[in-house]
Order: sequence, then C-alpha cells, then structure tokens
Amino acid sequence: MNVGLIQLVTPDGCHDVSMTASELALPLSELLAHRGFPLNTRCGGRGLCAGCEVELRTGALRCLGDDTPPPAGASGRIKACQARAGAGPVTVEIPARSLQNHEPAVVSEFRINIPWARDPLVPGARVGAAVDIGTTTVALLLCDLATGKVLAEASAFNAQIRFGEDVLTRIQLCSTDPGAVARLQRVVVDETINPLLAEACNRAGIGLADVGAMTVAANTTMLHLLAGVDPTPMGVHPFRAAFLEHRQYAPRELGLRFGGDTAEVHLLPGPAAYIGADLAAGMVATGLLYDDGPALLVDVGTNGEIIAKVGDQLIGCATAAGPAFEGAGLTSGTRAVQGAIERVQLQSEPFAAKLGIIGGVAVPLGICGSAYVDFLWEARRTGILQTTGRFTDAFCVRAGDHVQRDIHGRKLRLHPRGASGPIWVSEVDIARLLQAKAAIAAGMVTLLSLLSVVPGDVKTLYLAGGFGLHLSLEHAIGCGLLPGLAVNQIQMVGNTSLGGAFLALQDRSLLDEMIAASKTMKAIELNLQPGFENAYIDHLALP
Amino acid sequence: MTTLEQLSEAVGAGKAKDAKALTQRALDEGARPGDIVDKALVPAMAEVGERFKRNEIFVPEMLIAARAMKEAMNLLEPHLVAAGITPKYTAVIGTVQGDLHDIGKNLVVVMWKGANFRVVDLGTNVPPAKFVSAIQEHRPQLVGLSALLTTTMPAMVETVRIIRTSGCPPVKVMVGGAPITQQFANEIGADGYAADAGSAVDKARALVGAA
Ligand code: B1M
Repeated sequence: MNVGLIQLVTPDGCHDVSMTASELALPLSELLAHRGFPLNTRCGGRGLCAGCEVELRTGALRCLGDDTPPPAGASGRIKACQARAGAGPVTVEIPARSLQNHEPAVVSEFRINIPWARDPLVPGARVGAAVDIGTTTVALLLCDLATGKVLAEASAFNAQIRFGEDVLTRIQLCSTDPGAVARLQRVVVDETINPLLAEACNRAGIGLADVGAMTVAANTTMLHLLAGVDPTPMGVHPFRAAFLEHRQYAPRELGLRFGGDTAEVHLLPGPAAYIGADLAAGMVATGLLYDDGPALLVDVGTNGEIIAKVGDQLIGCATAAGPAFEGAGLTSGTRAVQGAIERVQLQSEPFAAKLGIIGGVAVPLGICGSAYVDFLWEARRTGILQTTGRFTDAFCVRAGDHVQRDIHGRKLRLHPRGASGPIWVSEVDIARLLQAKAAIAAGMVTLLSLLSVVPGDVKTLYLAGGFGLHLSLEHAIGCGLLPGLAVNQIQMVGNTSLGGAFLALQDRSLLDEMIAASKTMKAIELNLQPGFENAYIDHLALP
Repeated sequence: MTTLEQLSEAVGAGKAKDAKALTQRALDEGARPGDIVDKALVPAMAEVGERFKRNEIFVPEMLIAARAMKEAMNLLEPHLVAAGITPKYTAVIGTVQGDLHDIGKNLVVVMWKGANFRVVDLGTNVPPAKFVSAIQEHRPQLVGLSALLTTTMPAMVETVRIIRTSGCPPVKVMVGGAPITQQFANEIGADGYAADAGSAVDKARALVGAA
C-alpha cells in the first residue's frame, strides 16, 4: 500500500515517486536510489558532503530520527541523506549536480572513488579537456561531456624540462631572467599542451573548435608558469605563492588553441605553495575528503606530498623526496615508458634476474620506479643487500662479474645488453633510493603522529603518483616505503591529479569541493617538526 | 674489549642506544670525559670519515653513525664544560637565510665535533648579520655556510660578502651543500669547499692550519 507521494523535479522533467509504509523512515537519498534516482552520496550518506542536496519546493521533509524539519544549508538546500519524506505530499527538486550519473570507476590510468553528476563546468561545451601538468610529464584526456566517455588520451614530457628538471631550478630562472616567465609559459603551451590537444582531437576525430572547456590540475609552480605569473616568491623563505585560488581564462589569453568565443580554461585551486591543485584534485577523486579516516593520500613523486585525514582534521606536507622513484638521477633509471623494466625478480645462487619489461620488448631501456621497489625487496629477501643498502660480501664473492667496482663503489648488472649498454643498479643508486624512501616514510609517520595515529590504525592509504596502477604493494611495504602498513590498507589510485581535472569538467560542484578542500587543509612544515630528522634517519635503512 | 673500544665500535656501527649506554658506563667507570672524546669518539668518527672517502659507506650510514655520536656527545658535553675542557679550534656554522635544510649541516657539525672542534651551531635560516655577530662573539677560526636550495645560493653569496666587509675579525669561510660546487665557492670568494661531511673535516683542519 502506498502511503506517501513525492513529486520529483529533475532537469529532464517531473516524476512521481510513491512510498510504502515501510519506506517512510528511509533517508530520502536511499529511497530515491531504490526508485532509480541515485544521488551523489560521496560521503556514503553521512551528511558530510553536499553531493545529495535537494530543494524543497512544497510540503515538508523531516529529520531522520524525529519529526522536526531537517536543517537547510547555506543555499537553503537540504541533504537528502539526512532527511525523510513522511506521509504528506512533497515536491522536491533535484539539481543536476546532485543526480548521480557515474559510479566510482577506474578510468584510464586513475581510479575515481566517488560518484559524480552530469553538470558540466562549462555549460554548452560538447567536449572538454582535462590536463595534468607535471614537472616532468604532461597528461591530457578528452571527454565527451554529454556521456562522460573518454574520447582520447595523450601524454608527453613537459618541454620546460630543458630549463631545469625540478621546480626550483625553473623558479630560480624566473628570479634572475625577466623574460623567463613568458618564455616558460610559451614553451609549455606551444610545445606541449597545444600539440597534445591536437593529437588527442585527431585521434578522437573531432576538431579543436569542438573543445569548449579545459580544466588544469598541476603543482603550484606549474600553474604559475601556465598563467604567466612570476613564481619567484615561491623559491625562497617563506615560500609564498602569488595565487592558489581557482582561476578562469579564455584559451587565447594563455596562448591555448582550441574552442570558440565561449570556451573556458579553469585552473584548479590548491592548498599551498608545495601542495598544489594536483593534490586538491586527488583529495576529491580518491574520496579522502569524505573519509573519516584515519586515511592518507601519498603521492610518490619529486615533491612527495602526503595528506592525512582523521575526522575533521585535514593536514598535509611535502617531503621533497627527490626524483629517484621516477627513475631520474640513477645509473640506469628511466620513466615508466615502453621498454622500461617494470618488474624484477632475483635469485641469488647462482645469480639470476627475471625482468618484466613494459611492452615485452627484448632490449630494455632502463629501470623504472616499480622495478626499483621490487629490487630493494628482492635483494633483501635473497641476501644480496644488507640493511644499509650495501651488497653483502658473500654475494659479491659468488656473483662473479655480475658485480663490478668503479670509483663510486660497487654495482650489480641486471641485464647485459640494454638499449645503451648494460643495465646496472649501483650502491650509489640504492643510497639515493633510500633517501627518497626515507623522506616519504618519515613524512608519513610525522604527519600521523601529529594526529596521534599509528600506521596500523590507518583505514585506507591512497597511493598516487608515477607508479600508476602497477606496483607490488608487498614490496613497497617490504622495502620500508610505507612502514607499518599492510596490503589490505592500501589502494593504488594512479594519476588522481588528472582524475580530479576530469571530474571537475563534468561536475561543477566538485570544483567547489576542491576549493573547500584547499581552504580546509592545513600545511605542515616538516622542518619545524622535531621528530622528522630522527624519523628520516631511522627510515634510511632497509627493513 | 674495553668500554671505550666498545663505544667506538657502537658509534661506527651507528648503534645510538648502545653508544649512549656505553658512554654512561664509561663515565660510571670513572673515565675522564676528555678521554672518552679523544680515545673513543674521535677515532670512531675519523674511521667513519675515512670509510666514506673510500666509498665504503654512503650518506645513509654516515647519518646513522653521526646520530650515535650525537647521543654520546649530548651526555658528555655538560661534563666537558664542567671539566673546563675546550677544544683548540672553534667553528661557527649555519644554514643560510631562507633555507631550512639542516640534516647535512648537522652531519658536518658532528664530524667537526668528532675532529675535536668546538662548534657553535646557529641553526637554519641564519641571516648574514647573525653570522657576523657570532663571529664577533666567539672568535672562531672557521665559519661554515650550508645551502641546499638552488634559490638560496644567492643568500650564500650575500653572507660571504657581508662577513668580508663587516670588519669582523678575520675568519676562514667554508661552504657546502648539494647544489654548491668548488667553482661556485671560488666565484664567491670562499676559502674552502667540501662536497661531503667527510671531506669537510679534512678541509676544516687544513683551513685552520691543524692538518
Ligand atoms: C660548511 O661546509 C659544508 C660542507 C659540506 C656540506 C655542508 C656544509 N652542508 C652540506 N654538506 C655536504 O655534507 C653533507 C653530508 O655529506 C651533505 O648534505 P646534504 O644535505 O646534501 O645531505 C644530507 C646528509 C641528506 N639529505 C638531506 O637532508 C636532504 C634530503 C631531501 C629529501 C630533502 C629534505 C629531507 C627536506 N626538504 Co627539501 N629535501 C631535498 C632532498 C632531496 C634528496 N633526496 O636529496 C631537496 C634539497 N629539497 C628541495 C626542495 C625543493 C624543498 N625542500 C623543502 C623541505 C624539506 C623538508 C622540510 C621536507 C626536509 C628538510 C628537513 C631538514 N630538517 O633538513 C622545501 C624548502 C624548505 C626550506 N625552507 O628550506 C622545498 C623548497 C619544497 C618541498 N618540496 O617541500 C629540493 C631542492 C631542489 C633544488 N634545485 O634546489 C630537493 C633536492 C628535493 C627535490 N629534488 O625536489 C653535503 O651536501
């Protein structure tokens, strides 16, 4: 028997929803989900986010526990997960932003843990481009804004690399050369983003004029350089950014070539100078923002950002790990590209290395981050390495000419014929990896201890960054990169910066969520934390 | 093995807890604080520095050994002061203005202490004027500047310039840190450069004329 009636007003018209007696007590969001109108309950229906807000047109809604009217938010809207309909007739309007259009999903190289709506940031645009500008790599994808489908992807090195490998070198250039800001802007736009966009459009079979929107997630320095804003103040104490807020441009203002007169480019907001929009995007895409925790977002890259959330507390830091896990600065290191060794399995007696190479090619290019993680673990397991990161004497004796010595110390040959000679892992490489690992591990334990949490308490650690979605978590834990954690606490999330940009294109309310995340997050300066140095030194050793 | 030999070994192996306990034991057994430094800590750190130079150990192991040395020194310093023992040479050190990295600088501090320098550590983000007043106050033979960021190298240039023109007592200036090179040191008029904490000891001894 139906005892109640709700009239729903959605962007595509009116719908009547009837209720049985047993459904009267259900949260409105749950009832609507049963009736084929799922809302964006990003926080799991706990009243923490604004994803399921509806507008009451006529009649009355009630609180879940009693008959009082539910509190309305600043917008006058009501959270459907915190309200029920009751017996009387009501009319409720569901804005597009609250209607779930997509369920959490793995999209290309990233995972999205929240549902999202179809309420595009730039109304009227047919196709949008999401861009992640990394210091090293730029990734772009085209999205059909009507269906949410990915049309094409493209990625390339950031052409700014020739002006310096890390952000500080590029900032330093800007502080000494007045023309550098404009030059760096032109380089990333003309040589990297425009060509990637053209390539993706070509692949998708659409014209550049069809792209009506672009969202950009990146670290704060990259956003300054894209906008043509001098990042000099970010290079020296107190490391202040000229801007962190969301910004909107017309493509031609930045030299971008796409769209017509109404096209828009949106630079996403970020929390701090060294915790950028890439992390704000990640906090939303992983759902960390709606997670009661204890939860962590760890981005294993040159800056090594870590964000921790426990209840309402949201804090973050940059650990300055350096680029070792991206393969930079190591004897045979390379990025995770075609031909890179991505997996390593070792046998000590007699020495043998089983290598997994991306694309299955015969002549490897070099070793990428995930394989270095394997190596550290495997070499410990087989007694090849000591806890200090040095080869054991016993191994060196029996390894024959697999181990060689030069002026820098000893090195082990993993493959005799790589694309540019033998592939080596040297003790100096290992020392660099240990320093990067120690920075990340120490940053993590320092943040957690500020929140009085131990690693074992962490419910979910979202692991983002250059490792993509492919890394042995056992080995990452085993080599001490993620100390005190277990595999079932960790979720690989890939390039969540691109994921967040992809979300903001399609669901404008998520831009507001990124703005809120950026304002809420408190940046922690690790150098002011008395425990950091000790933790760093502790974590230099291999377990 | 004597307690001092055991202490020396614990420091070399980076066993901080053992180093602390053994230092305490040596004191309890009546060893003179000065002897503990000269006969256990100095040789241990000298050995660490030597092994570092021979590429037998790297920065991670050195940091671990230095921490053990620091534990021992923390226990000993009050005793050394009470006994009126002051090393022959004094050095002032700090990370230059705008830079907050100090792990490398702290390592140099420990190595210098291990070479029996009195070290006045000004910490991080040290403005040039603070170096100048510390030089006036402590009359060191040596002042060390550390910088870890490309963007704080100019602060190093400025600090050297101000030390040289401030009219403070003559002092040797040594610079170091990951982005610093010998060429840069020459350009800015520093007296010495060391690429790592091991060679920082040799360089320091040479600059003060102890070598
Ligand atoms: C007087 O005579 C001498 C003689 C020799 C001297 C000497 C003086 N001083 C040093 N030496 C020499 O002897 C030592 C032993 O052999 C050596 O010292 P080192 O200091 O080189 O070596 C130490 C023993 C161990 N090494 C270190 O301690 C540095 C390690 C790394 C990981 C690093 C750390 C730990 C930190 N960091 Co920072 N950090 C990085 C580093 C990347 C890496 N993997 O190396 C580096 C240096 N950081 C960097 C950056 C950008 C930053 N960091 C920052 C912050 C931090 C932490 C607070 C997180 C932490 C510092 C904690 C602390 N108390 O020091 C920020 C700035 C803070 C500030 N105001 O200074 C921030 C600006 C941004 C950020 N990512 O957070 C990069 C600089 C890039 C550049 N081109 O300049 C960086 C190379 C990482 C990277 N690739 O991005 C020699 O240089």
